[in-house]
Amino acid sequence: MAEYDLTQTIIPYCDRHLVFPLLAHLAESELFPVGQVQAAQYELAKGTNMVDYAVSLFEQLHPDEEVPPEFVGKRESALSTNERLQQEAQDVLNVIENPEVAQALRQDKNQNLQYLKEHYNVTLEQINALYNFGQFQYTYGNYSGAADYLYHFRVLSTDPDLTLSAHWGKLACDILTGKWDIALEELNTLREVVDSRSPSHPAFSTGTSPADPALTQLHSRTWLLHWSLFVYYNHREGRTLLLETFLSPAYLNTIQTSCPWVLRYLAAAAVLSRKASSTSGSSVSSRVRHSIREVVKIIQMEEYQYQDPITSFLRELYVEFDFEAAQRELSKAEHVVGNDFFLSEFKDDFLDNARYLISEAYCRIHQRIDIADLSERLNLSRDEGEKWVVNLIRETRMGSDAKIDLGKNVIEINRPPQPIYQTVIEKTRGLAFRTQALGAAMARTQGVHSEQPAVVEAAR
Amino acid sequence: MSRFFRKADDSDSDSESSSEEELMSSDDEAPKAAASTTKPAMSRFLRSAGDDSDSESESESESEEESMSEDEEKGKKKSRFLRTEDSDEESDEDEGKRVVKSARDKRLEEMEASGKQMDNALKINDWVAISNEFDKLVRMVQRQQNLAEPVPPFYLRQLQTLESSLNAALAKEKEAKKKMNASNARALTAMKQKVKKVMKEYEIDLKKFQEDPEAFEREFNASVSTEVPAAKPKKKKAVDEEDEGDEEFKTVGKGGKSYQFTPETILKNLQAVQEARGKKNTDRAEQIRILEKLLEVAVTSYQQIRVLLALISARFDYNSSVSSYMPIELWTSAQKEVDQLVGILVRNPKYAIQETTEDYDELVERSPETEKDAIVLVRGSIISFVDRLDDEFTKSLQHIDPHGTEYVDRLKDEKSLYCTICRAQTLYEQTKQDDPLGRVIMRRLEHIYSKPDAVVQALESAVSASDIKPSITFSQSSTKQLIHSLCIHLYKSGNSLLRTRAMLSHIYHYALHNDFHTARDMLLMSHLQESVHSADVATQILYNRTVVQVGLSAFRVGLIRESQQILQDIFATQRVKELLAQGVHQRYQVLTPEQEKAERQRQLPFHMHINTELLEAAFLVSSMLVEIPLLASIENEEQKRKTISKSFRRLLDFADRQVFTGPPESTRDHIMQASRALQDGEWEKCRDLVQGIKIWSLMPEAASVKEMLTKRIQEEGLRTYLFTYAPHYSTLSLSLLSRTFSLPLRGVTSIVSKMIWNEELSASLDHATGVLVFHRVEVMRSHQLAQVLADKLNTMVEQNEKALDQKLGNAANWNDRGDGQKGDKRGEQTQERRRGGERRGGVRGGARGGRGARFAQGLGSQMPGAQRNRG
Repeated sequence: MAEYDLTQTIIPYCDRHLVFPLLAHLAESELFPVGQVQAAQYELAKGTNMVDYAVSLFEQLHPDEEVPPEFVGKRESALSTNERLQQEAQDVLNVIENPEVAQALRQDKNQNLQYLKEHYNVTLEQINALYNFGQFQYTYGNYSGAADYLYHFRVLSTDPDLTLSAHWGKLACDILTGKWDIALEELNTLREVVDSRSPSHPAFSTGTSPADPALTQLHSRTWLLHWSLFVYYNHREGRTLLLETFLSPAYLNTIQTSCPWVLRYLAAAAVLSRKASSTSGSSVSSRVRHSIREVVKIIQMEEYQYQDPITSFLRELYVEFDFEAAQRELSKAEHVVGNDFFLSEFKDDFLDNARYLISEAYCRIHQRIDIADLSERLNLSRDEGEKWVVNLIRETRMGSDAKIDLGKNVIEINRPPQPIYQTVIEKTRGLAFRTQALGAAMARTQGVHSEQPAVVEAAR
Repeated sequence: MSRFFRKADDSDSDSESSSEEELMSSDDEAPKAAASTTKPAMSRFLRSAGDDSDSESESESESEEESMSEDEEKGKKKSRFLRTEDSDEESDEDEGKRVVKSARDKRLEEMEASGKQMDNALKINDWVAISNEFDKLVRMVQRQQNLAEPVPPFYLRQLQTLESSLNAALAKEKEAKKKMNASNARALTAMKQKVKKVMKEYEIDLKKFQEDPEAFEREFNASVSTEVPAAKPKKKKAVDEEDEGDEEFKTVGKGGKSYQFTPETILKNLQAVQEARGKKNTDRAEQIRILEKLLEVAVTSYQQIRVLLALISARFDYNSSVSSYMPIELWTSAQKEVDQLVGILVRNPKYAIQETTEDYDELVERSPETEKDAIVLVRGSIISFVDRLDDEFTKSLQHIDPHGTEYVDRLKDEKSLYCTICRAQTLYEQTKQDDPLGRVIMRRLEHIYSKPDAVVQALESAVSASDIKPSITFSQSSTKQLIHSLCIHLYKSGNSLLRTRAMLSHIYHYALHNDFHTARDMLLMSHLQESVHSADVATQILYNRTVVQVGLSAFRVGLIRESQQILQDIFATQRVKELLAQGVHQRYQVLTPEQEKAERQRQLPFHMHINTELLEAAFLVSSMLVEIPLLASIENEEQKRKTISKSFRRLLDFADRQVFTGPPESTRDHIMQASRALQDGEWEKCRDLVQGIKIWSLMPEAASVKEMLTKRIQEEGLRTYLFTYAPHYSTLSLSLLSRTFSLPLRGVTSIVSKMIWNEELSASLDHATGVLVFHRVEVMRSHQLAQVLADKLNTMVEQNEKALDQKLGNAANWNDRGDGQKGDKRGEQTQERRRGGERRGGVRGGARGGRGARFAQGLGSQMPGAQRNRG
């Protein structure tokens, strides 16, 4: 199963600290030799200021060896730096935590700076100290503290680059402390920032200099996709949101261009959110409702770049309609999901939903189904299968069409064809609205050309 | 009076040219020449007597020397000299013709003569005559200067007098306007302008002259007399060696006799040749010969470089007409010389050729030691030579009949040309000139991007055999690598045109190697389809070629649907050949001759062509595989659905109307009959017909392609069968289907399931008995009509949206409602990307973006525009 493990692919797109949980998971799942994983953990920790952790890892790794002396020095310097930075940051923090100041602060950052400078003699450098201290705290693992400082810094700072960096830092902190609600919020703001960075995608002819905004944006988006996995697979409504985000054109393109392996998580999310789609509440967008169809298309298209049991499962089921192969892939996917850092929690859920998908497709295509056969397709025993089928019929809308004939041990499905009037309604639905939008757009364009953005809004 | 003078003028100008032609010796008479400069200016009539005697005495010695020369020449010359024998009688009618004198001497005299006439004309205020004389004088002086002789003081003096008298005349004219007639007045003003211009030209000399006329004159005489003796000793043997300096001289080049050039005079000779370049009467062949000789004697690198530069340009000049190509021998030698030039430059980094340099004295020998940066900069441009070589090569291929051996022979030269290009690349890599380097690499890329591996290997092996190698060579294992590294280099360059072309070539190469996905992704990511309209025609052609090649690669790897969609665009225009620049044929538009000429120049040489018949076969077969099942399903629903491929449908209709169908001959016949067979469910017949197409043999990996086609035919045959015969069955055994179409049962189940899932077939499977159960839906007339109406409404709204889209431009996605109404309406990019996976709906989506129209507009609308610009 190690060949389907994505940890190595994902690591380059994560922050050093975000990798710790990944490695910890690997150590548990025992896909790789423990020694190797521990060595990796040690190498990872060595680069941070988490000296004690590194030392303990070292001791684990080499029980008989002396701890390298540089750790002592490193520890001391880390402590002194901490001291110094804290001193610097404390001044600002004192000012900011003053309730008077908190009240006086407004939306306008420049004005705030002015105010702070006039009344409390706080300069820009001092505010940057907040950033430095926050970053330092992060390096030795005090994530919640770091999150605080970075938050304050972001409120005050005007430097766009540092603010962006603080955004990333804060997101990492929130992820590592496990505050998923806050992390989600943070993720959304960060996404906005990233999306707004380059307004227009330059044509090919306008240059591919190293500082190409389109390229940087692609990178940021790739990172964001990876980081967001932490949030989306831990937050309550994460899967739906994940579909929403990942299926938006910009991020879909990012996946297709730079990180096709994320498709696994997209596919898994699509499977997992089946319930949401089948209940078809008005709250979920059509993007989520049709997510499976969309995802299958993309999987098919990116087949040449990436495939694993999860994507192959969907492909066998919805492209080839080969139920046997789908079932084979499903049993493989079960392992993969179980071993995946993000997906392991959802293993049962995934299996459950996948079975639903299989049986749904199976029932739609077949007229008479042998229950034993179906159970086999679903990797279930006969009794379980029967129970499962009954539940299925009860839960899904096919209730009225499908009947179980226990005498012959088959399910009979009689789906009356859709009445004509309904198809006509289906087809003409939305035409009026589209025409209206057309009309609105026409009316606007007769005005000035610069009003076009407004037209877009109106049409929506 | 004036008439008389003018007549004299005319004869003068005649005699001038003829006398120059006749000049045989100059320097033997140098002392006399020096003397004659001081001779007082005489009128022609007065002079002729004295001169004749000169020529008589001269002629004897001349004829002796002449006798050594070639027979033909001799005869010609002899007769002339013979004529001089009785010059006394002739002199009156044919004055000056036989006067054999030093060239310089002669010119000076002529100048003085015309000066005299001008003086005379001045006296009577005849400005027309003055103007004529003056023109002549200026011409003569200019020629004098071409030979690097100093300006005669006499001329300057004349200028001064002219100016003063001009001023006087103008002043007088102002006072009494009536006095002059119109033509005279016009001549006067013209003169004023001319004199002004000339004065400006000789400003420095004039000033010097004004300051000290005596000294100037002395200097002039000195320079004349010193030059001559210096030249004398080495020119004893040849009679007419000065000729190469005299561009008017045409009867040179005596067969076996070699010129004697010495390294010292090279630069001077070179300059003379360069002055003559582009003049009307210059004999280009002669110039080339002279330069070749010069090259033989050139010793220093500097001389070699200079001579080579001149020689290569002279070779390119040889053929001035745009329509015909450079003679192949000339091309070959030019190519060798470029090689040589690059070789010199690579070996001597102290020399550099640049398009712009500081001015330097053309006549002075230079070496790295004399230059301040220790680098000798020479004006010239190797990149333009390489460009020209390449262009001429292409041009010759365009003109040679591609089916003859000559073409093949010519094609063999590509190897050496490729080597030259690589050498130039080495040079520019060494000198780090990025701009020309980019151009050279582009040239190199253009030679290899469309070639199969074996050919590229042959070319590259020639390069690696040469002594000068560029940094990017074939050593990196595969052509893909080579192309990749070349393209990477171009992507980094600043020139957006080069980048675009490199990108397209790169994509083409990927497509050629059946790497369809990479090619497609690159093509879509480049966003070229949005901007290609504004590109130049050559780039558009390359774009079309690339797209077509991508389509073919999709076909080869078995992605029939994709292939059909891609090729559809270009076939819809019905101008495939034209769009690929593989033939001119306009059925609908009439072009002006210029347009047609421009068109012809754009044509690709034959060996670069993408075989259109193969292309058509691929397109029609894929259309068949897509269209026939669709057609079958249409009849089911008794409604006309949008056709996917109009051109295929048209052909099919045409074939249907035939009363009698004979055995298939052309590719089209094969495919049409195959389509009929497929419609009838006879997949085996269809397969045989499709595989019987001969053109497949031109496709690489023909066997695997045929195998793939067989599989597709089986599948699509099954689908067609189901569509066509579903109404006649209520159940159908899957195993029967599997047997009929030789497909595995699982495959059949899969296909049938897919059709049920996609609601193409209203049926369901009965697992227990292994049959397919059809659900017949009886549709009432009113129901049917309602459905048709709904569909029509849909199309109407879509049409309206499309119209508005076009009006607003694609940029304003006013109807991009994201997920609101139609989930699948996204930005163009995703639509394009998804093109591959999408079904019928996607096809419509793709067409909405206007891709179909792109080809049609692409070249079509662009071409007249471009030509208008040109014209």
